[in-house]
Amino acid sequence: MRVLIADDDSISLRLLEKTLERAGYEVTAVKNGRAAAVEMCHPEGPRLALLDWVMPELDGPDVCREIRKQRGQRHVHLVLLSSKNSKKDIVQGLEAGADDYLIKPFDPEELKARLHTGLRILQLEDSLLEAREEMRYKATHDSLTSLLNRGTIIELLARELARTRRENRCTTAVMGDLDHFKLINDTHGHPVGDEVLREVGRRLLGAVRSYDFVGRYGGEEFLLVLNNCDVTKALERSEEIRCVVSRTSIRTSKGPLRITLSVGAYASPGDDDKTVEDVLCIADGALYEAKAAGRNCSRLAGRKAAGSAGATVGD
Amino acid sequence: MHSFAQLEAYVDLPELLNRVEGDRELLAELFRLSRDDLPENREALHEAIDGVDLGKVAIAAHKLKGMLANLSATRLASLAAQIERAARAGDNEMVKNKLPGFDAEIDGFAAALSAFWPEN
Repeated sequence: MRVLIADDDSISLRLLEKTLERAGYEVTAVKNGRAAAVEMCHPEGPRLALLDWVMPELDGPDVCREIRKQRGQRHVHLVLLSSKNSKKDIVQGLEAGADDYLIKPFDPEELKARLHTGLRILQLEDSLLEAREEMRYKATHDSLTSLLNRGTIIELLARELARTRRENRCTTAVMGDLDHFKLINDTHGHPVGDEVLREVGRRLLGAVRSYDFVGRYGGEEFLLVLNNCDVTKALERSEEIRCVVSRTSIRTSKGPLRITLSVGAYASPGDDDKTVEDVLCIADGALYEAKAAGRNCSRLAGRKAAGSAGATVGD
Repeated sequence: MHSFAQLEAYVDLPELLNRVEGDRELLAELFRLSRDDLPENREALHEAIDGVDLGKVAIAAHKLKGMLANLSATRLASLAAQIERAARAGDNEMVKNKLPGFDAEIDGFAAALSAFWPEN
């Protein structure tokens, strides 16, 4: 663990440095308050600091205030170290943002114990943040495929449609549904069905750009949000997505399985006034048409093709 | 090999050894740093007293107090603390009264440091 020590007295600084190095800390030593604030306010700076009260440029309490103002949400543990030992001084130091206060000259065992308390607090914060991140992930992702879940992908579609309106661009919603998936579950069992869904998820993610979104919309249904993809590209992109799933068999524990995907897409232009529900409904309608046209093909809503209300492409 | 004998008149050696966790090499290094820093810190105190700037007197005395306390030079640290307190209280007379006693004591300490770590 890195620790910053700030003291303009070279004896105190050396004593602290040596004591902390012996205790296994990686020490950064500075001799004035301004340098301490700069080090500590850096996003990658140490998260533990021992600050002398009286220092040139910025005193210890001012360093605490500066760090609390600038460092943001992550906790940093600040210990003021001073020979000022009145109750008033201690209260003033703690009110400036220090977490702890140690009277000089320090006892090495007490110093290490106090820093250890700081470490415990930082470790607790780390584990809470980790837990929060895990919960956030679980709340936004599908546990089987690790794709975005239904709620999240719809929310992202709504956000992208709003951006499309603002920036007068185009967003394409692509709905994909695995053909005859029930048959796979019925024939090979649900675990194999799960293997298929996981692999399809991986393939879909591999078929889009880093700024597109892929979500599991329902059982074997997927929704993809393609940013800045207009009507001239939508069918081509839909076909790429369909082909990445259908082109090669999926290896499962029961052997390779040939899986195909039907796709329905809708390209929403910047001047479109449709709601997210409208867009989903239109894309779903196109998907239904792809199914009706024999499956394993793509259908783009609202685009005339020979003999139909939309454009259809497929194997 | 350095001898701590002279310094023991000013420094509580067992306490200081405890603070440096028995590291005699570090102890010697701290005495060298003290020998180098002490004149400047003393000078700052004298300048502040000569300029009758009690704010600066308090700061200089506080710094000396911290340095001396870290070295377990308890008596000297206490004298510096008295000057600091007098300066914070705005009592220039008291500051001037305390200074000779502090100076005499610190002269002896400086001599002991120089004996321990002679200048090259």
